[in-house]
Amino acid sequence: MEVDREDGRSQNQLRPLACSRNILHRAHGSASWSQDTKVLAAVYGPKAGTKKNENPEKACIEVIWKPKTGQIGKPEKEYEMILKRTLESVCILTVNPNTTTSIIVQVVNDDGALLPSAINAACMALVDAGIPMKHLAVAVCCCVAKSGYVILDPTKLEEQKMKAFAYLVFPNSVHSVLPEGSLRVEGEPIENGIITSVTHGIMSVDDYFYCLERGRAASVKLSDFLRRNLQQQSTDSSKAG
Amino acid sequence: MEGRLANSWRLTVNDKNFIKTALLSEIRIDGRKPFEYRKISIKFGREDGSSEVQLGQTRVMGMVTAQLVQPYRDRPKEGILSIFTEFSPMADPSFEPGRPGELAVELGRIVDRGLRESRAVDTESLCILAGKFVWAIRIDLHILDNGGNLVDAANIAALAALLTFRRPECSLGGEDGQEVIVHPPEIREPLPLTVHHLPIAISFGFFSNESILVIDPTHNEEAVMGGRMTTTVNANGDICAIQKSGGEGVPRRVIMQCLQLATSKAASITKQIKDAVEVFNTERALRKIKRHPTSTGDDVREKQN
Repeated sequence: MEVDREDGRSQNQLRPLACSRNILHRAHGSASWSQDTKVLAAVYGPKAGTKKNENPEKACIEVIWKPKTGQIGKPEKEYEMILKRTLESVCILTVNPNTTTSIIVQVVNDDGALLPSAINAACMALVDAGIPMKHLAVAVCCCVAKSGYVILDPTKLEEQKMKAFAYLVFPNSVHSVLPEGSLRVEGEPIENGIITSVTHGIMSVDDYFYCLERGRAASVKLSDFLRRNLQQQSTDSSKAG
Repeated sequence: MEGRLANSWRLTVNDKNFIKTALLSEIRIDGRKPFEYRKISIKFGREDGSSEVQLGQTRVMGMVTAQLVQPYRDRPKEGILSIFTEFSPMADPSFEPGRPGELAVELGRIVDRGLRESRAVDTESLCILAGKFVWAIRIDLHILDNGGNLVDAANIAALAALLTFRRPECSLGGEDGQEVIVHPPEIREPLPLTVHHLPIAISFGFFSNESILVIDPTHNEEAVMGGRMTTTVNANGDICAIQKSGGEGVPRRVIMQCLQLATSKAASITKQIKDAVEVFNTERALRKIKRHPTSTGDDVREKQN
């Protein structure tokens, strides 16, 4: 079905992606992700000690979300919590017990799909800092319109007009030497799993499953982009504060 | 998180002595001469009023927004200008999130004094309806990377953001002319702010041995220096503000030397800011021209960065 989007994209077309690592000098790891929405992420860690109510036998992740302007309110706290939980499931927490890794996310420009951009930027910053991770988290945003079609990577206007939208985070696709030996969870390859799903608005169950399919297909393309980007910048100097 | 020794950054005694000894031979650790400024790069975001300034390794982002509010009672015909400084924890491991510390407040006050009391921004043109509606301009300065000399970088970021900010045009309407109608940017072109002159902050560092003076200290030099002074001057040679809070005493001739240096540097920095704003305005005008979107077949397009 042909859909007219304001900027001329097709249903499944993402906006041009740009990602760069190692942009800040004091932070241990930093990355910027821009897809019209621009987010800057910085990582400091691992630092000694965990926070009060955290388990000292594992590493702890702390997320600080900085909005573009204005004071920190409830939406920012919600984003911090979602990011923290997503990144906790991606990082290997048993390697450095009793440490804290701080991730600071700064919103530079918000034009739709803010949380997925932040998750992607945070993952790249963690890679830049050398924090051990099981796999990357790749995030996309899917919108469901009233007539039932699904579009990917909406702008802010599209997000506000649509009936519902979902932020979906998948593990990145794996290039394994032995396809039969690749990680499987209960018989399914690991990249078919979902790490995080946040929905706003009402959508039917079929719409949601359709979103998941489209999102998974987009995450494969995003994984390829990330892999190329990381392989290009594989030589960098180490930083120790 | 506070009070963790492992997290605070300290310069070793060897590093400090090295910096001081090098300065005796007029060499700075990053290769500059004592009176040389670092390279400044000014970039703008897509929307009006957002700037990103890089001064060597220091990186500051400025964001300007405006809102219609009621004016202060004792100034019913003037707009409001307020500056908010955010020392983001990403800039330095010792910056804590939450309430701004002393350094953040001091930086905010220096930038504020340079803009407000020297009447650089014309607040009377921000008045729409005296006593009822004026524009409140809010400048948010986010420090992203602390490479030293945050005041100068933050000041340039604030000026660059103010020069590229556009406020919506509004007119009086309603039955008795008391209602304010704000026109959206698609209907009427938004207006720039009136900025009379550009106050540039230039910071100096003083070192105890043989009263050595450097301009634009890096964060290593800031950890070693005995005192600092920030002078805010504009290209016309007017002194807008001088801030020297504590630190070691310096003789009068050193202060005069600083002021002369500052005036000469301010002229070149002013030119740089104006050139960058020109380039942004030209790009902005070109973007307004509607073009056909280029069609591509791929699902994912990427650009090299």
